[in-house]
Amino acid sequence: MNFQNAKLFYVVSCVALCLVILSPTLAAVVTFPEGEKFSELWILGPNHMFEGYSFNVAAGELHKVYLGVSNQMGDLNYYRVYVKFGNESELLPNSTAGLPSPLEPVFEYNVFLRNNETWEKELAFSFEGVSFEGNVSRVSKVLVGSYAVDVNKIAVWNETDNGFYYQLFFELWIYNATVPGFQFHNRWVGFWLNMSRQL
Amino acid sequence: MKHETKSCRSVAVCLSVSMLLAVWLVPACFAVDAVEASGAIGQAERDLGSAYVVVAEAEGAGADVSVLLNKLGSAGDFLSEAYVAFRAGDYGNASLFAMECNHVVSGVAGDAARLKLDAERARSDRLLLTSAGSGVGLVLLLVLGFSGWRFLKRRYHKRVLDMKPHVEGTR
Repeated sequence: MNFQNAKLFYVVSCVALCLVILSPTLAAVVTFPEGEKFSELWILGPNHMFEGYSFNVAAGELHKVYLGVSNQMGDLNYYRVYVKFGNESELLPNSTAGLPSPLEPVFEYNVFLRNNETWEKELAFSFEGVSFEGNVSRVSKVLVGSYAVDVNKIAVWNETDNGFYYQLFFELWIYNATVPGFQFHNRWVGFWLNMSRQL
Repeated sequence: MKHETKSCRSVAVCLSVSMLLAVWLVPACFAVDAVEASGAIGQAERDLGSAYVVVAEAEGAGADVSVLLNKLGSAGDFLSEAYVAFRAGDYGNASLFAMECNHVVSGVAGDAARLKLDAERARSDRLLLTSAGSGVGLVLLLVLGFSGWRFLKRRYHKRVLDMKPHVEGTR
């Protein structure tokens, strides 16, 4: 190794050592670019799988799903999950326009999640006051957990798919401190239910 | 005797009527209407929101907010129950649940603010310590590096000079 090469090696070693010594301070001061920020909302069937969701339901029967929310937004967030119930003709959330459904919620969950945290809740639901008249069915009450909520929903017989169709769906809202208030987070999940007569 | 019986009966009737009126009117006097329940829920909603904001700031500053998050979660459950009761027309319970939410959330903002201050202080202390450590390390590196370089340079020159061919004396 000649003198010039040795000098270069020495300078480079010193600079590398400098960076090692400064790294704790740099880590505290410099903010590194963060990954993609998002939230997740999901429902799982009674066996905790993406299958087996209730479809044919009747008054008095107890059904179960698992509702989950995950926070990947980088900080603590305050979420609200609205549980809504509607028939075929009522408006669902519009993900393209970022609009929630105008339906009144049946129930809501308030969830506080830190970054990378997940919340999951077993949701048991059933229906009461179900009646059928000709080609019309009526659901008077939805029971979510131990709460009975008046809904008074009517569904007309669907001749194409042969059934009285309703939908139970969940909307994710997020608290915006600048508004301040909740805003639709443009995430929703749901499943169809075919209301049938009790045997 | 007959007169006494009559007065006893009238007293009994009066008592029965007043008891019935009490049963009928007292709950009505203490009943909560929709406006009142809605106001209580609105207040609970605002209190929970503002408590969350302070807790989020504390969490961002690096404080351990686990206990406060549990409280916020409980308050959130009460608020959900208040909404359900309100929709069911049970304004009394709606108001009670909203007040319970307020009760749980009270003090959370103050605790969060304190935790935030502590976390910020700890963070600035840590930053000061690491900066001081880095500064001392840099100075040491510069001094040692410079001395080391001088030492190596001198040794190199000495070795080069030692390699110079010796001139034999002339006869």
